[in-house]
Amino acid sequence: MRTEIHGRAVRMLAAAVAALALALGLAACGGGGGGGIEGGGDTNEVETVKLQGKPSGSLTISNWPLYIDKQTVPDFEKKSGIKVDYKEDINANEEFFGKMQPLLQEGESGGRSIFVVADWMSSKMYELGYLQNIDKSGIPNVEKNLVASLREPSFDPERSYTVPWQSGMTGIIVRTDLAPDVHSVCDLLDPKYKGKVEMLSELRQTVPLVMKCEGVADPSKASEAEWMKAMDKIGQASASGQIRRFTGNDYAADLINGNAIAVVGWSGDAVQLQADNPNIEWRMPTEGCIFWSEDMVIPIGAPNPTAAEAWMNFVYEPEVAANIAEYVNYVTPVEGVKEVLAKRNPELAENQLIFPSSSFTKKCSPEPAPSGELEQNLVRAFNAILNG
Amino acid sequence: MTAVRRRLAPYFLLGPGTIWLVLFFVVPLYYLGKLSLESGVLGGFEFSWHWANYKDALSLYDTQFVRSFVYAGAATILALLLAYPLAYTIAFKAGRWRNLMLFAVIAPFFTTYLIRTLAWETILSDQSPVVSVLQFVGVVPADGHVLATAPAVIAGLTYNFLPFMVLPIYASLERLDVRLIEAAQDLYASSRQAFVRVTLPLSAPGIVAGTLLTFIPASGDYVNAQFLGSAGNQMIGNVIQSLYLKQTDYPSAAALSFVLMALILIIVLVYIKFSGTEALMGEEAR
Repeated sequence: MRTEIHGRAVRMLAAAVAALALALGLAACGGGGGGGIEGGGDTNEVETVKLQGKPSGSLTISNWPLYIDKQTVPDFEKKSGIKVDYKEDINANEEFFGKMQPLLQEGESGGRSIFVVADWMSSKMYELGYLQNIDKSGIPNVEKNLVASLREPSFDPERSYTVPWQSGMTGIIVRTDLAPDVHSVCDLLDPKYKGKVEMLSELRQTVPLVMKCEGVADPSKASEAEWMKAMDKIGQASASGQIRRFTGNDYAADLINGNAIAVVGWSGDAVQLQADNPNIEWRMPTEGCIFWSEDMVIPIGAPNPTAAEAWMNFVYEPEVAANIAEYVNYVTPVEGVKEVLAKRNPELAENQLIFPSSSFTKKCSPEPAPSGELEQNLVRAFNAILNG
Repeated sequence: MTAVRRRLAPYFLLGPGTIWLVLFFVVPLYYLGKLSLESGVLGGFEFSWHWANYKDALSLYDTQFVRSFVYAGAATILALLLAYPLAYTIAFKAGRWRNLMLFAVIAPFFTTYLIRTLAWETILSDQSPVVSVLQFVGVVPADGHVLATAPAVIAGLTYNFLPFMVLPIYASLERLDVRLIEAAQDLYASSRQAFVRVTLPLSAPGIVAGTLLTFIPASGDYVNAQFLGSAGNQMIGNVIQSLYLKQTDYPSAAALSFVLMALILIIVLVYIKFSGTEALMGEEAR
């Protein structure tokens, strides 16, 4: 019976392959006309949000997990009468983009009125025509309270489509008991720490920091050759076992149990980690840090943009922003928060990681936002390193 | 009337399963196949018989393919070595502990896969007792580590898929007619001979099923490599995940998925050919 079963299996397999080929053939006929990336609207004529009277109704917001305190949403609902569906459904910029892109292409936002994404992702979405300009008459608090240093970023000089949610610094986090001498990004590559060092799997933060170690003062203006040179260095350090692994937030566990003694990491995480383990410390690299922001943006097709602007305006009240800052421990973009916290939580108000002084961050550079072919090449090269 | 009904009954019984398979396997597979031949960037993918995706998939990621099959193969062999004595003990020696031991094999499934894998991060962490012992006996150098290396990934895979190996082997041993072993001994076979010539061949269907159930999912796994491995230990599943979610290069990811499916299919067909269909089907196929 063996041969018969065998023969039957082969015939079925052949039939399956034939069916697949046929299906693909049909696909070819029906294919085409997909169109290139043109975006929902014409890039030259970006729509501006149309405000309609007093904010009311409901509002859906997409943000990252653990990026807001427990009080702000209920406070806003009580004050405005707007019902908020606050989704913590963004885990990575690219992943979120991949999920939303087919909808945005059709001019839909999946019912969401606000996304919170990184500067570079905001800029990318805007270029594709996926975002609306904000009507500034709806956000007087932002006009009044946005910190001076964030008012004219190169990617959106007039802040016409982005409102910063939080900012932060990418630098190094060390176990002061195990690696007291690590002060720079270059130190991470010291063979002494082989297998005990980790870097973020974030192209736009890890590679620029290594560029800074190589003497590039502002990586946001770096050439492709400078990017590639830094990536070679990272690739070699990874292949040799110097870099233990590339992580997201999960470096936290490795620092706590001593698997890693120095990592490339985020300022806000370190504030929270240090509270649990005093031996964990975020350090400003001697080369400077990468300073990034994540922005609230209003996608095309967003329902109830009036309520969306009311939310943006609300979180720019210093009292509200103070609640958020106290919880998330990142750098707040709202002026006046320090004064509010000075009364409530003086220790936090003095923390350089939450309220960095300009002298503290003087060597920091903005997170680069390479685009087009350069971006494609960099993404490919970096992922080749991550996948060994 | 009843004759017609009786003739149609099997088709009705097959109906729900077939619909399920068509909806959730054949249809997605069709779209995946179409996607794998598209070109362009996200938002502008166009169907163009772009076979280069397949060529690139093989030439760019051959290392990860080989690595995946080596890791999955190693995990399968380790799982077999662990599972057979365990299944044997449960089937023949456990007595009244049998149900409890079976439960212990299945119990880890009450916790999610992810949590169990993360637990291994703790078990194999640098300061853990396990690693200290390994360092003491010299298996791991004093300044070396286990986590974020290939052995950690293989250990994770072995652990996670072990029950899939134990249960089929147990099932085939459990239904084995012990009188056959007794007969062998009556005919002056030593215990070893009885095992090699009676027990082992009769449990072959369980071994084949177990190895397939372990090897196939292990080849496509990416969770273990993600948490227990380093950049140099990423498997093909990690590459596919990265292409889908990080590089938004869907066509390449789809092509890689197809190549992975095809390779697994080939490996499995060769394996079944060598081990014999009757080993998989049991007595009935003979």
